Amino acid sequence: MTIDEQTPAAGTVGLKASAACWLRRPRSRRELIDRLFAVQSLFALAVVFAVAIAASPTRNGENLFLSTGNLGNIVRAVSEIGIIAVGMTFVVLLGGIDLSVGAILGLSAVGTATLMVDSGLGILPSVLAVLAIGAAFGALQGYATARLGIQSFIVTLAGLQVARGLARIWSGGLGIPIAYGDGPKEAPPAFEILNGSFNGVVPVPAVLFLAIGVAAIVVLRTTAFARHVYAIGGNEKAARLSGVPVTRVKVAVFAIAGLLAAVAGVVHAGQLNQGSPNDGAGYELDAIAAVVIGGTALSGGSGSMGGTLAGALLLGILNNILALNNIDANVQLLIKGLVIVAAAALQKLHRTVA
Amino acid sequence: MRHRISTFVVLACVLITTACSVEKPSEQAGDAAGAACGTGKEFLIGMSQANNAEPYRQVMNNDVTAAAKAVPGFKVVVSDAAQDNSKQVADVESFLTQKINLLIISPNEAKPLTAVVKKAYDQKIPVIVLDRKVEGDAYTAFIGGDNVAIGKAAGEYYAKTLLPSGGKVIEIAGLPGSTPAKERADGFRAGIAGNPKIEIVASQPGDWLREKGQSVADALLKAHPDVAAVYAHNDPMAEGAYLAAKAAGLETKIKFTGIDALPVPSGGIKAVEQGRLSATFQYATGGREAIDLAKKILVDCGKDVPRSTTLGTQQITKDNAAEVYTKLGGS
Amino acid sequence: MSEALVTMTGITKQFGGVVACRDVDFTIRAGEVHALLGENGAGKSTLMNVLSGVVTDHDGEITVAGTPVRFHRPADAQAAGIATIHQELDLVPGLSVAENLVLGREPRTRLRLLDRRAMLRTAREQLRQLGVDLDPRRPVGALRVGEQQLVEIARALSLDARVLVMDEPTAALADAEVRRLFATIEELRRRGVGIVYISHRMEEIEAIADRATVLRNGGVAGTVDPRTAGPGEIISLMVGRSVETLFGSANAKTGAPLLEVDDLTVRPRHRRPGRCEPAGATLTVRAGEIVGLAGLMGAGRTELLETLFGAGAKGRRSGSVRLDGVAYAPAAPRQALRRGVGFVPEDRRGSALVLGHATGRSIVLTALHRLTTAGIVRRRRERAAVAGKIAELAIKTPSANVPVGALSGGNQQKVVFARQLLAGPRLLLLDEPTRGVDIGAKAEIYRLLHRLADDGMGILLASSELPEPLGVCDRIVVLRAGRTVADLPAATTDAAGILAAAMGQHSRPTRESA
Repeated sequence: MTIDEQTPAAGTVGLKASAACWLRRPRSRRELIDRLFAVQSLFALAVVFAVAIAASPTRNGENLFLSTGNLGNIVRAVSEIGIIAVGMTFVVLLGGIDLSVGAILGLSAVGTATLMVDSGLGILPSVLAVLAIGAAFGALQGYATARLGIQSFIVTLAGLQVARGLARIWSGGLGIPIAYGDGPKEAPPAFEILNGSFNGVVPVPAVLFLAIGVAAIVVLRTTAFARHVYAIGGNEKAARLSGVPVTRVKVAVFAIAGLLAAVAGVVHAGQLNQGSPNDGAGYELDAIAAVVIGGTALSGGSGSMGGTLAGALLLGILNNILALNNIDANVQLLIKGLVIVAAAALQKLHRTVA
Repeated sequence: MRHRISTFVVLACVLITTACSVEKPSEQAGDAAGAACGTGKEFLIGMSQANNAEPYRQVMNNDVTAAAKAVPGFKVVVSDAAQDNSKQVADVESFLTQKINLLIISPNEAKPLTAVVKKAYDQKIPVIVLDRKVEGDAYTAFIGGDNVAIGKAAGEYYAKTLLPSGGKVIEIAGLPGSTPAKERADGFRAGIAGNPKIEIVASQPGDWLREKGQSVADALLKAHPDVAAVYAHNDPMAEGAYLAAKAAGLETKIKFTGIDALPVPSGGIKAVEQGRLSATFQYATGGREAIDLAKKILVDCGKDVPRSTTLGTQQITKDNAAEVYTKLGGS
Repeated sequence: MSEALVTMTGITKQFGGVVACRDVDFTIRAGEVHALLGENGAGKSTLMNVLSGVVTDHDGEITVAGTPVRFHRPADAQAAGIATIHQELDLVPGLSVAENLVLGREPRTRLRLLDRRAMLRTAREQLRQLGVDLDPRRPVGALRVGEQQLVEIARALSLDARVLVMDEPTAALADAEVRRLFATIEELRRRGVGIVYISHRMEEIEAIADRATVLRNGGVAGTVDPRTAGPGEIISLMVGRSVETLFGSANAKTGAPLLEVDDLTVRPRHRRPGRCEPAGATLTVRAGEIVGLAGLMGAGRTELLETLFGAGAKGRRSGSVRLDGVAYAPAAPRQALRRGVGFVPEDRRGSALVLGHATGRSIVLTALHRLTTAGIVRRRRERAAVAGKIAELAIKTPSANVPVGALSGGNQQKVVFARQLLAGPRLLLLDEPTRGVDIGAKAEIYRLLHRLADDGMGILLASSELPEPLGVCDRIVVLRAGRTVADLPAATTDAAGILAAAMGQHSRPTRESA
């Protein structure tokens, strides 16, 4: 066996396909398949988008799916899940999972409402305090995972209970309504911007979500931190032996997840004019679904932020088109389940083929 | 890692498409709603339910759908928010996109849904709010039960019929902090005031759940084996208490009553008919009444619909159980 | 001589272009302990995998009790009465001894429930027959490794095994357990069981083997009677002639001491079975010097290198380690890297690479901090660094974006080297750097080592293939049970000398307890 015999598997060629490569005619069917898979989540998003247009009911000749504000509503509706999913992507790339984000969202919504309404703090101090709490909570979980060597599933399962409990204690168990005005027990009216939209059409939370998503894409593409996340997720032992500061990176990643869950909590409070301790239950699973549909492997080390954004939007479009067609709520659950399994199966298929 | 460029392109597309659809002014939505009432037309009614998983709300959906079927031209679409405020907001928004002619909503919580209900109302879509209110006055009509009155009816039943010569009573209450639990407790106390020999010896929350009602009753019956009756804030908890008493061999000595009286096989009416509960008190869903109102607004072009309708209750005992069950559409 | 239980004739097996077994004849007789010897890669594992039905597409013939057989899967071999006791035991730790012994064949009562009494009776009987005194109710996980081994042997015999293959059975055992195992082996011999005994420990083979077959480069180098042959003859059969040209020329000019280890001992907080922490390791590596680290499997070479890289077991340490004359006790790999120490681990796939990640990214991982500004990776500098190392080490890859897993073993190893070299180390710790690497890449790696040494780098090279340190290194330090037992100049020593020291022939007459 000489070195010259060693050529990489043909499949790997497709991985480096750049925009220019796409214009080139594919040399084989394999290569074509690889190229499609390289963008599978976007491809799936485009397909679902097209299907949604086709399947949308029309009223007076107008396509309801594309109608005024509907697309904005879709992005707005997934904005909280999407923001959480961005943080979740970091965690999953690291080879972990964060079950506490939904509860942190509830805690943060309660915190935002309490600080602004009951404590009479301004918007900025309230929001900063809530974000700090979320980040600190996440960091603590990351530290426990890294230093005690407990699986993040367990640590964040415990964190979920703790955050939910804190939220209930802080709020007294009931939702704290947010009224706007200048008086005592009223929140600054400027906070209502989270319920507003640019131009009356593009909702503020949607823009916030996409901005966070784009920032995360840039972070994952350009920073050494991101390389370390991928390395730890791919092979923690190898990363440690290569000098990657494993503990520090883990703490940072879980802090990011907690911080973004807190951001989602602030948005949640702003959108619903209330901080309820029970809100956000199950959001962690929707976020994981978005990450998985986006093609990030739960085993860690491979995946992309763009995929997650596409996955979140795909879920949003799916919810919307099912609702527009008045599909029975129970049948909707079945369809969503099938879509998640299909996304996972697609990746498995690709890995087997390659 | 790959093809981030394409990501941006698709995301940009979503945003651009969103922005491009600005052209149409939003008052257009108005013509779909308020403008054309009258007979012989098609009407789309959106029914936004807070949580299908609660039997009471499932029955409410059934009532709305069944009643609407009897009105020519009515089509009802039902959405389930699964107890999630955000989901219910999105549900209503997708109704608005569909340009429904009338909205019936049973809100999960008041405050979070006020804004979206107002949005619908501002688009001149008539809004009928069921069971739980929203804040402010941006809705057409509210239909709901009166839990104080129901509790009071139950109390009076205890004072006059069930325990005329008095006795000890255990109360199994609803979820602590919830309004109906407080109102059903207060009403009951007002109702039994007329008979001073009735004594509430214990009150514990059963969180509306059958299994919690059973475990709470288990403990309370150990402490008070001599009670004459168990007053539960809903039928499932009453059934749970019955099971606990049966395990203790006390089921024939103690009487049980519940509230809700849902016309379903697992509901309180059947339990009364089969003798496990002495009585239950109907907490009406308002589904039929909502469709009646909708008919008034859409078909009859009625202008003066009642702003607020309080649903009455009725007492269900073995005498009328079978009859009421059929009348309420149970099967 | 008694009858042959199993006869293997003309066994040949190739993996790709590599001949793992070449025309091997091997017989196992009833009541015989047949030792199988050879260096790593000599073909022992392949031969035993053929015998146990793991490798099925081989040439040559196997007969069991005179009948030709063809195994298509491991279950076929088991059915034919051939059982293998692996180093990693196949027991369920949470179940009791008895439950493990009857696993899959549990006795039932008439109600189809588990018959506990019958189960315990059977288990006691099986253990008694083997002369083993063990409570069958104890959970297997609570037993010592040696006791677990006995349970595994008992289970194999309860499945009517006539031939037992034991792969390095004493590797993880203490002395008393070894004596107990040998007593059991005597009992098995008396019952007519044929035993294939694989070990590197010469004194064990002298003590219990009736015959010893030595494999070298996939073929049989000879079969001898270990009681008469003596270790010298066996070792020369194992080593054969060495391939001098492969290794390049040793260099003479060495500088000041770079790494000085004096009586380093680590007492780990948590003892892990199978690990042998440094226990009196002493060595010096000078700048420009390549020092070999030799010793038997389990002698503690990897553990010593890991300790020197800050990746070893946590615990109390004694003795002194100095780097450039300054005390050196890294608690984490990052600290070692900061002091200019690099490490190429033994298990390339498990400890060094993420096979799915791009080659370029794998190369820059350790030195990433040099290629970033404010946390942002400078793409141009990264590309230049990657291109530089790919050219310097002649890594054969279509592009820096190809996943490492798509490269050959040799090129993967070069990627690991490139990563270390990009961090600019002065001392390089290498653990089996040429394992699983083809001969061409091997030669390239050796040339690279000489060049690095010429540039003044110190290199500590652990290897289990004896010709490698003999050919490449200036000096060879021999470890035994974590302790330095010899420090030999490569020019004047030979494989026999190293093996003798490693097995304790000269320095210590008996094996120390682990």
